[in-house]
Amino acid sequence: MFKLNFKIALRNIWKNKTSSLINISGLAIGLAACLVLLLYVSYEWNFDKHAKDDVNIYQVMMNHKGANGQIAETGPSTANVIAPLFKQKYSWVKTAARLSWAMPFLVSGELNSYKKMGEFADPEILDIFGYTFIYGNKHTALSTPNSVIVTESTARLFFGTTDVMNRSIRFQNQLDLKITGVIKDLPPNVSRSFDYLMPWSVYESQFSWVREPNWESYSYTTLLKIDPRANVSEINASIKDLYQKNGLKLKVEPFLFQYSSLHLYGNFVNGISTGGGIEQLRLFMGLAVGILLIACVNFMNMATAKSEKRAKEVGIKKTIGASRAGLISQFLMESLVLTVLSAVMAVVLIEMCLPLFNRLLAIELNINYSSVAMWLGLVAVVLVTGLIAGSYPAFYLSSFNPVQILRKRNLGRGIFSITLRQVLVVGQFSFAVILIIATTVIYQQIQYIKNRPVGYNVNELVEVEQEGELYGKYELLKSRLLESGAVSSVLSSSSTISKELSSSSGGEWPGSSEDDKLIRFNTMATTYGFVKTTGVKLIYGRDFSPKFASDTNAILISHSAMNVMNLKNPIGQIVNHHGYKSTIVGVFEDFILGSPFESEKPLIVGFSREWSGMVTMKLNPAHPASENITAIAKIVKEINPAYPVNITFVNQLYAQKLQSQKVLGILSNFFGGLAIFISCLGLFGLASYSAEQRTKEIGVRKVLGASVSNLMGLLSFSFLKMVGVAIVIAIPVANYIMSDWLKSFEFHTSVNWVIILLAAAGTIGIALFTVSFQAYKAAKANPVDALKYE
Amino acid sequence: MIKIENLEKVYKTEEIETTALNGINMHVKTGEFVSIMGPSGCGKSTLLNVMGLLDKPESGSYKFLETELLSMNDKQRSNFRKQNMGFVFQNFNLIDELTVFENIELPLIYNKVPATERKRLVNEIIERMNIVNRSGHFPQQLSGGQQQRVAVARALVTKPKLVLADEPTGNLDSSHGNEVMELLCELNEQGTTIVMVTHSSHDASFSNRIINLKDGHVISEKINKSRTEELI
Repeated sequence: MFKLNFKIALRNIWKNKTSSLINISGLAIGLAACLVLLLYVSYEWNFDKHAKDDVNIYQVMMNHKGANGQIAETGPSTANVIAPLFKQKYSWVKTAARLSWAMPFLVSGELNSYKKMGEFADPEILDIFGYTFIYGNKHTALSTPNSVIVTESTARLFFGTTDVMNRSIRFQNQLDLKITGVIKDLPPNVSRSFDYLMPWSVYESQFSWVREPNWESYSYTTLLKIDPRANVSEINASIKDLYQKNGLKLKVEPFLFQYSSLHLYGNFVNGISTGGGIEQLRLFMGLAVGILLIACVNFMNMATAKSEKRAKEVGIKKTIGASRAGLISQFLMESLVLTVLSAVMAVVLIEMCLPLFNRLLAIELNINYSSVAMWLGLVAVVLVTGLIAGSYPAFYLSSFNPVQILRKRNLGRGIFSITLRQVLVVGQFSFAVILIIATTVIYQQIQYIKNRPVGYNVNELVEVEQEGELYGKYELLKSRLLESGAVSSVLSSSSTISKELSSSSGGEWPGSSEDDKLIRFNTMATTYGFVKTTGVKLIYGRDFSPKFASDTNAILISHSAMNVMNLKNPIGQIVNHHGYKSTIVGVFEDFILGSPFESEKPLIVGFSREWSGMVTMKLNPAHPASENITAIAKIVKEINPAYPVNITFVNQLYAQKLQSQKVLGILSNFFGGLAIFISCLGLFGLASYSAEQRTKEIGVRKVLGASVSNLMGLLSFSFLKMVGVAIVIAIPVANYIMSDWLKSFEFHTSVNWVIILLAAAGTIGIALFTVSFQAYKAAKANPVDALKYE
Repeated sequence: MIKIENLEKVYKTEEIETTALNGINMHVKTGEFVSIMGPSGCGKSTLLNVMGLLDKPESGSYKFLETELLSMNDKQRSNFRKQNMGFVFQNFNLIDELTVFENIELPLIYNKVPATERKRLVNEIIERMNIVNRSGHFPQQLSGGQQQRVAVARALVTKPKLVLADEPTGNLDSSHGNEVMELLCELNEQGTTIVMVTHSSHDASFSNRIINLKDGHVISEKINKSRTEELI
């Protein structure tokens, strides 16, 4: 029985090549899209879940209270006293480690020098993360001073081999570190990635501020592995007042948060996780299911449209003795065969598209053919798809009454079957139209944010990290750069102008209250030429100037800082900031330092020659940028020969801030387009089938004098009607969803009716094109052929 | 073998009620070859469908070898049908996607006959029907007469007690039609009971007995002496 049903299935597929092709390729594209999205979902879902008992790894987080006593901010960084304290004091802590963020340091091996990402950590990190060691002892590799663990590819880069135990790499051109371990490269989906890992003791020896036990500098990550039996909410209640118990007046509350959840649930409001990446993931899950359903609908439509042809088979089989269950299983089997064929095609499609997809999204997805979970997932998706796609045709076809079918050769077009098919097409196109509108709104929103005035000359600035000799020889660098004519202005500052990196509270100013000390200000330090170089717009006062000796103790503030401080005449006012009493000499208009999606936080720009780490240059517009860059690179290399020169365009850094939205834009564009394509494929199939069915009618009409355009109208109209209904349904839904989505942005555009109309017109246009192709073919055919056909 | 009493069947649509069978009484003896004749719409096909358990009457009794069939549920009817009856249709109703061999094999599969036994039975009937060299062909590759022979073979392969034929020669030219009628006669002579609906008095002349229907009634019955004597 199985064999025979299988044979019938294959022969049916072969006999109806066009519709099978439409079915299989539509389903294959749908499956491929769905599987790629699921791959992405599983990639994100497994973020930071590689450690053996990742559920017991917790990160210490800090809630910072604001002026009104509410939690104003939740931060992932702690002070350096926390980890040792926890380990010593609490029995539920099995092990604890401090970590730095991975930072680019200059590293030299036997073959060459590169700036590579290095991280510092307590040796306990090896017990927490359980890296896979190729060489070295996985418990003691970080225990000796001046040791280092390198990843496989770092070892290859510097030595050309992975067998590099006990060899040395030179750190920052100052300190030799002995390699005590080589580990496998970290998977791409981890939050903490590095090229080499150094013990905390190196961090302390290199940077004096790390050495001092400190409760207030929230600059380090603290990770714990806790007893699996421990109750985390009880722990959190007990450590809430840790700072107060230790006699500190700081209004901060530490708490534990599962490390592997941080990636997807990392947004905090009032100290409570409110989601994060998980929302995008849910969106993609929905998209995956939606696209697959669209493809399934095609399948159902084609199958029920063909029901007249299959009806006879059903009638005969029932007469001879087939049971309904047997027929249902036959049709399900048929759809499963098609789904399996589609799945094979889908895997080929995925393999073809993944490199492109990975490049667009800057991630590393791949199909792991040796993974059992992957196969189980694939089989599950194929089974579910086959059953969904086959269910309606199976139940519909098997319900035919044999007498009706076999007696009246023509199984009348049941009202039910037509309406259901129409409902399916309408649903399919509604989804597609919603996706198109969503896509355009997302695109518009990205454009809107992109077009927000940045507030400084983002396109004219380049920056070089102030490292090695560039720190001590800044004045030389500056004068040589200006001499060369490559730059028109140079500035050294504490950090890049494209990121929020430092903030402080505790400020005092004329008229400030005790509560105002909790207000956090973004801070950065610069030297002379801040306004001139960056192009920030000055509203009151002036830039720092060497003409005023007192400017070494002056500050500039942003307009919103002025508002927060409630200063009417800010110039000349004294502000106690960072422990210094400084005079406000200028007020500048807010610029986008942090996220372009949010309004700017108040910013204080101080003057400091010591607190510097970045050289920002305004390129001389008189020369081509490439010439300027070459000149800058030459000068920098001459002054700081030990380091590779790395000149960054600030507008590229700015573009990175839009990356996550760009990903959303790319994905919605791509899958929205696919949804339309698959829907049209289905429409094409239905139109061709309907044209085929009506061949005789068309022939008769033609003989009676119908023109080609009459006939095309006749054939196209019924389909366009459905697309029209879909559009009417989709517009309010899309409008609702997207208005809601836009509201989640502080700065947002609105749903534009012109766009909606264009989307509607575009959809009708595409559908018309699809249908009219078939209609034209049918209408142009020789009527005699059509009449002979019966 | 068959005893039908007061059979009534009404077709209802939203507007019209059509009485197809209006109190039919008839019987068929084992080994008989009965023709049912009558003008279009007289109810003869409905009667055949009821006899084949493809359709349910409103009331009446239908006994097959003393078993009342009308009280059965769908599953029982389906089982009874596949074990006891074979069908031959005007338009052959072969499955286009299956070969001649597979078409004939199908009812055996539904009757859960083991594969080797199936092969034997199908080959036997194919030989008997003289279509051996066609067994791997698909229905469209055969002439109408050949297709009907396949259909007859399919009806007989389960060795049914009763064969129901619905205008078996309606789609055939006269020489092919005669071939099929001779085949049915031959089967009847070998002991199979046959009930046939037909328009053609020529075809009916092959049977033992002719029942005439009109407006859902049996209006006359005629014994075909030349054939019945043989039976007796």
